[in-house]
Amino acid sequence: MPELSYREAVRDALATAMRQDDGVFIMGEDIAEMGGSMGVTSGMLEEFGRERVRNTPISEMALAGAAIGAALQGMRPVAEIMYEDFMTLAAEQVVNQAAKLRYMSGGQLTVPVVFRTQGGAGWSPGAQHAQQLEAWFVHIPGLKVVFASTPEDVRGLLWSAIYDDNPVVFFEHRTLYGIKGNVPEKIEPIPIGKARVHREGEDVTVIATGRLVHESLAAAEEAEKQGVSVEVVDPRTLQPLDEETLVTSVKKTNRAVVAHEAVTRMGFGAEVASVLQYQAFDWLDAPIERVGAKFSPLPFAPVMEQFVVPHADDVLQAILRTVNKA
Amino acid sequence: MATEVKLPRLGQGMESGTIVRWLKSEGEQVAKGEPLYELDTDKVTQEVEAEASGVLLKIAIPEGEVEVGKTIAFIGKEGETVAVEAPAPQPKVSDTETVSDTVQEPEPKRVSEPTTNGRIKASPLARRLARERGIDLASLRGSGPEGRIVAQDVETPAPAAARPAAPVPTGEVTSQPLSNIRKTIARRLTEAWTVPAFMLTVSADMTRANELVARRRELEPDVRVTVTDVLTRVCAQALVRHRGMNVQYTEDALLSFPNANVGIAVAAPQGLVVPVVHNAEQLSLSQIAQARGDLVGRARDAKLRAEDLEGGTFTISNLGMFDVDQFVAVLNPPQASILAVGATRDQVVPVDGDLHVVPMMTMTLTCDHRAVDGATGAEFLKTIKTFLEDPGLAL
Repeated sequence: MPELSYREAVRDALATAMRQDDGVFIMGEDIAEMGGSMGVTSGMLEEFGRERVRNTPISEMALAGAAIGAALQGMRPVAEIMYEDFMTLAAEQVVNQAAKLRYMSGGQLTVPVVFRTQGGAGWSPGAQHAQQLEAWFVHIPGLKVVFASTPEDVRGLLWSAIYDDNPVVFFEHRTLYGIKGNVPEKIEPIPIGKARVHREGEDVTVIATGRLVHESLAAAEEAEKQGVSVEVVDPRTLQPLDEETLVTSVKKTNRAVVAHEAVTRMGFGAEVASVLQYQAFDWLDAPIERVGAKFSPLPFAPVMEQFVVPHADDVLQAILRTVNKA
Repeated sequence: MATEVKLPRLGQGMESGTIVRWLKSEGEQVAKGEPLYELDTDKVTQEVEAEASGVLLKIAIPEGEVEVGKTIAFIGKEGETVAVEAPAPQPKVSDTETVSDTVQEPEPKRVSEPTTNGRIKASPLARRLARERGIDLASLRGSGPEGRIVAQDVETPAPAAARPAAPVPTGEVTSQPLSNIRKTIARRLTEAWTVPAFMLTVSADMTRANELVARRRELEPDVRVTVTDVLTRVCAQALVRHRGMNVQYTEDALLSFPNANVGIAVAAPQGLVVPVVHNAEQLSLSQIAQARGDLVGRARDAKLRAEDLEGGTFTISNLGMFDVDQFVAVLNPPQASILAVGATRDQVVPVDGDLHVVPMMTMTLTCDHRAVDGATGAEFLKTIKTFLEDPGLAL
């Protein structure tokens, strides 16, 4: 099995789709010569040319609208929104247009567009360039939302997102671009709506997304040393949500922790906790713990940024609280 | 085609068992060999494993007493429907109808909540387990945060006395339904009481036996040999030398057993149990110690299996650790004899005209007089005394 970085895995899915399918193209701010702010699309201009690797003006609303228009005309555009903070600027097009057109046209129109975007703390980019806004989009009927945490997952899920006939908001985490992992020789599509159990355990289930998947796996190792067996599950797709896998796991372990980098208040974890308490009520032996950022804009000072966002130790403490060992 | 889960016969003479709780829920995946439910027989409470893999389609009998061979659940493929024989106490329901509309849920047992204390803090899982087992949450002490009752507290309840909030009012009689194990103890010992029995008492100098225990512990600190292990070894050796003791009386024949299967009475939390060290005459002292450690540990955790309790030909009941000087044990039928062992005490003993302080242990052998005569029992007891005083002779 070849080894790819998360960044290379994204690029591989884009390039492979573009090689096999003229309808697939990419557009975004500085994605051509510069290769995007994170270097994901580097080298693609040379292979595919300006028609299919399109630099856009600095207007997220315009570029999102153009991508939606192309999708309506039968193409499969992948628009890059440089930072997910800027999704707020594209929101009118994503929320009011892309998410609604198929419904409002009685199915006459489909909008097979992907909005790739990235964010996350770790490099001290400050309050306007590192937010985690995935929960905003999970709240919108008509959108699918993906948040992949490994090279294998990001490639297989981006492939499925490109070929999905619905608009997909595709979140990547900035600090994961460098991580490496084995991927199948040939791209294997990963179905949207299917969670992944990263690690099996008996005592507590940690449901984590993005960077927190890795933090949770580290916390699980530490918990194991303290005699607590932890299952780690990554939903991978936030909408639609693989409720069955999550509920089955919690029915087995009787305890749950939900963990993400976004603030806990109205976060994705709140929805997961609600699903679990309703479907696994009689199986719960402890309150569901939530791990997320403190309710604050992200500070610029590195030490303060680290203080605000959660790490493995926060997950570990939550795990231990569920088994009354904290 | 769904597989029927039938109540198994876990030991000789087992006619029925009581389902305590299901470890899987309807609709859950079950793998062959996974524990499926807890069964309380008159001997032991144990987990019973699934005999097939698939989805637990239907639990026909959620709890209560069931005859051996009766269908209690179905395992099959997802979505499969099964024909269910209704539980016995509901005669109105015909034999084969589909699950969905005929099986009535059993009346949920009422869990009385104390009126003085307001609501009891308990996790949803703990509440469900208590409901399923008919345990009153008020009788439990919560070990979770802020005294919350969690599942573990239901599974291994702390003694009610330790719960300060709700002391049992003095002077009031409390009534607790008999557990199967309590019923069995009562039935068997009442039966034993009708047997003509005689008792023989002897004291042994334990100097060398104690030295042997100390030396074994030095050599094998992990195994931790005890006086009970030495007694088990000594009794097993005495039994094979006195075949007339290793017997059982039946209505028309006297059964004589080839092996010395020595039972050890254990005070388990749920009541007296007597797990058996099988073929003890073939085991070394440390093998006996290991077997005894395993059996006693599992007896205390209520994890004994039916086979652990079967086949005993002799029983040792040692109350020495409770400082009892000597006592008379009631026979453990159908066995023909039982040895009651007291504490070892320093006593002044005349030896060759001098007074010596010697550690002495007093034992009383109870024998079934239908199977054993006085002289046979006395010779057997003499051998035990001789072996204890000079353990090398038991090699």
